[in-house]
Amino acid sequence: MAWYLIVLLVMLLPFEVFALSAEDVMKKSQAAFLYPGKDFKARVGMKLISKEGKERIREMTMLRKNYGEPGGDQKLFIYFFQPADVKDMTFMVYKYPVKDDDRWLFVPAINMVRRIAAQDKTSSFVGSDFTYEEVSGRDIVDDTHSIVKEEKLGAKDCYVIKSTPKAADVDYSYKLSWIDKANFLPVKEEYYDRRGELYKVFTADEVKDVKGFPTVTKRTMKNLQSGHRTEVTYLKSDYNIGIEDSLFSERFLRLPPKKWIE
Amino acid sequence: MKRFSLVEFSVRHPKLIVALAVIFAIAFMTQFPKMKTDTNPKNMLPATSDVRVWNDEVDKTFALYEDMIVVGIKNERGIVNANTLSKIKNITDEIMKIKGVASRDVNGFPTITNVTAEKGTLRVAPLMTDIPKNEVELKAFKKDLFDNPLFLNRIISKDGKTTAIYIPLEKGANGKEIADRIREIVKKEKGDEKYYVAGDPVARDTFGAEMFKLMGIFSPIAGMIMFIAIYLMFRNLSLAISMMMVAMISIIWSMGLLIGLGFPIHIMSSMSPVFLMAIATDSIHIFNEFYFRYKERKDKKAAIIETMLAVGRPVRYTALATAAGFAVLMFMHIIPVKVFGFGLAFGTVALRLLSFSFIPAILTFVKEEKIEKASEREDIGLSRTAQLLKNLSSLGAHKPKATVFVGLILLVVAVIGTTKIVVNNNMVEWFKKNSEIRIADRVMNQALGGTSLGYVVAISREDDFIKTPEAMRYIEGIQRHLEKLPVVGKTSSVVDYVKRINRVLHNDDPKYDVVPETKEMIGQYIFLFSMSAKPSDLDNVVDYPFKKANIWIQLKTWDAQGMRDVIKAVEEYKMANPTPMEFKPAGIAYFNLVWNDAVLWDMLRGFIIAMIVVFVILAFNFRSIKWAIVGYIPLLFTILLIYGVVGFIGKDFDMPISVLSCLSLGMAVDFAIHFISRFKQRLVEGQESGVGSQESQIKYPGPLTIDSRLTDSLLWTAARPGKGIMRNAVLFASAFSVMLFAPLTPYITVGAFIVGMMMLSAIMTIVYLPALITLLKGWLFKGGDV
Repeated sequence: MAWYLIVLLVMLLPFEVFALSAEDVMKKSQAAFLYPGKDFKARVGMKLISKEGKERIREMTMLRKNYGEPGGDQKLFIYFFQPADVKDMTFMVYKYPVKDDDRWLFVPAINMVRRIAAQDKTSSFVGSDFTYEEVSGRDIVDDTHSIVKEEKLGAKDCYVIKSTPKAADVDYSYKLSWIDKANFLPVKEEYYDRRGELYKVFTADEVKDVKGFPTVTKRTMKNLQSGHRTEVTYLKSDYNIGIEDSLFSERFLRLPPKKWIE
Repeated sequence: MKRFSLVEFSVRHPKLIVALAVIFAIAFMTQFPKMKTDTNPKNMLPATSDVRVWNDEVDKTFALYEDMIVVGIKNERGIVNANTLSKIKNITDEIMKIKGVASRDVNGFPTITNVTAEKGTLRVAPLMTDIPKNEVELKAFKKDLFDNPLFLNRIISKDGKTTAIYIPLEKGANGKEIADRIREIVKKEKGDEKYYVAGDPVARDTFGAEMFKLMGIFSPIAGMIMFIAIYLMFRNLSLAISMMMVAMISIIWSMGLLIGLGFPIHIMSSMSPVFLMAIATDSIHIFNEFYFRYKERKDKKAAIIETMLAVGRPVRYTALATAAGFAVLMFMHIIPVKVFGFGLAFGTVALRLLSFSFIPAILTFVKEEKIEKASEREDIGLSRTAQLLKNLSSLGAHKPKATVFVGLILLVVAVIGTTKIVVNNNMVEWFKKNSEIRIADRVMNQALGGTSLGYVVAISREDDFIKTPEAMRYIEGIQRHLEKLPVVGKTSSVVDYVKRINRVLHNDDPKYDVVPETKEMIGQYIFLFSMSAKPSDLDNVVDYPFKKANIWIQLKTWDAQGMRDVIKAVEEYKMANPTPMEFKPAGIAYFNLVWNDAVLWDMLRGFIIAMIVVFVILAFNFRSIKWAIVGYIPLLFTILLIYGVVGFIGKDFDMPISVLSCLSLGMAVDFAIHFISRFKQRLVEGQESGVGSQESQIKYPGPLTIDSRLTDSLLWTAARPGKGIMRNAVLFASAFSVMLFAPLTPYITVGAFIVGMMMLSAIMTIVYLPALITLLKGWLFKGGDV
């Protein structure tokens, strides 16, 4: 009898003793969402849809390689297919935690590689409703996090985390994230502006298992104030494909290897 | 006849009539809480009008905001210093927190997208992310600010003393509330800086607030003035009260009806109470005649019925003419004018209904001895006013040729004046010169590119055409051509962004400040820009498929002529440089132009319709075309004289004036109707008795020739109904004179116009009708026709 009681207590224990802090949840989420595997590749389709339903298309191949622990250095290589007149344009990011990222862009029409600087915390990524930071991830230490509640969103048990920026460096005053307890992927995010009004909503619309990594393959960011939204689809997602370090260089920026971008 | 029975019924059941009128008034009053105002100039034209449909389409295509507030910040010692810049940052931050502000697209130093190259790095980011802290940073900021041609005259003046924050508003936001909030925010900042809040929504919503003030304060004052004037004329309080009651009831009825039907109060309908009050003075003719009749009969009830018999026909016809004048407005294109015409036509009919029921009913309540006392003064022989009027008309009757000759000279002068008339609606100038809004507008127009915004939309036939060097160079050419116009302060388009990127990519080399050579370059530059700019930066200037481009034109004037010049310049450029692209104007400045022209054509149409309708009414009333013509002449003369004055003093011929020109026909014709009707009645009465009427018998004893009988009747008419005319004109004018003190110029214009017109047309009627009748008697009385 006593033995059963012990088993029961042990089963209950994780919820008591190993309860996660808000930071832990966000760290796990960052690892699951932005850092799974050694590297990652996907054909990304972006639809920029205006309030009137007019569309702009962005299509690109995105390659990503992790260096070190989740939350650490990362390198990104993006090759654009669409819009048609930017075909062959490439974009490279060296992402560092804490300090500003390095970015290069190759402009094929004038055969020129330029370093570019952008206000990544507020600037829109290629005209979409995502900021650069929302694509590449925000440093966890930039915000204070707290667990507001735990609730079910659809069939998913979620933590609801409130993240408040320490500095007023972004357009929102705080963000609520619904993090799936099962896989730590974000299910939904709500962005509240400086007036405290909800203005942007992120939803993970489709999650697929790719080589054992749960991956968000369809997502939407909607700006409630402008009525504009961006729908993103990941096709041909793959992990651990062995991307070489040399890819992330000016040479390949100018002449991206076919095997990686196709 | 039905109407006589209404008078008799009212005299028999006065209490019932009063009770009914009040009950109806209460019923209409229940609608008042539903009152809304609409001061959006856009609603001058229906939502289905071509210009609005097109402008809406342009707004959608280019994600433009309908409403924008502009805050000007000026520091005589220059804007670029850490202190002022930090204020600008604070103010911008605070403004972005205001509800109703489209924060994402607020453009000022801290938020506007800048494209620069620093040490080989291309940077697309807001201009001032951090406040420059030291001399080095300040210097760098200054360079950023003045080097980017997109900023010059937009967010920084050439002399570096003035900047602006452009604040777009979400749909349905209240511009005045936001503007008030902004004023509070800037008030908190101490220092040398001066702040100016301008922009369409501010003007519009301030106008709305002033309008309510006008209705709430000026209408009652106008009422009080009329009340005092009536009392001074008749020395009888109950008469003055009854007249005011009639006016009040008709105001309540018609405003209640308009509100009840769901019409918002516009600038024009806000003036209706004053109009109705003034029109109510037409019942002065009833009182006027009643006093004379009572003095003759000494029997109140009989005097009432006789009075109504004598003045009933002219009062009915004048009401008809006035109502017709208003009803004509319903055929116009400008919505507030239509509503105004409808409300006033209804109000005028209501007034007349009350004249034949409510007034006789009230007259029965007036104590006989009071009337007797007051009416003692009503003697043609004794009254000084009557004597003066008689002298005036004898001028016309005895020296008709000289009078007409003088008139002709005045007419020629007036016609010269009318040729100088300029049709123009400038809504900023609806505010007084020293009003905050006008000052803000003036300062910003001096320092920056201009507060009035128009667009020229380039439309090509195929997608992506805008990205071709051909299209780019063409648009650039048009921009340079338009900038030569003195009214154009600044133009901007997608070309400016492309050129900027081109230059920045090439290490800021001025050689590259041109349109790139290939479509690929342009496409990639635009993409490069859109990679980190605000989505609206590009959306505002090109459509999604790159088929259309939007050229922003900042004008330094709100005059309609400004946009007309722009359109003409675009056409000239197109003629000289053929292109497959089409260019169409849009924006508020264009709307103002279209609206302005609509006002002109509406006015012309309305004026012609009013002329015909009034003429027909006159002809029916007099049962003679000839008399209608005679009655018409002083009227036209009056209007021509007023327009002559408008032309000479250089006042813009705007919407209020054009509306008045239609109305004035219907209102000024009253005097001619009264004069001629009563004159002809008098002539018949004299003919039947074979001698002059009772009073004049004493003064003009003995048998009378036709001529002397004519003159006698003319002078009698001038003295007796003429007094009613003068009283009517004075009351009318006194009510409207209040508007001369209004805070908004359209009201002042209307006040001055009506005061001038009523006084002038009364005098014209009394001087020129006798002259014309005397001169044309052979023609008028041919075949013994009277």
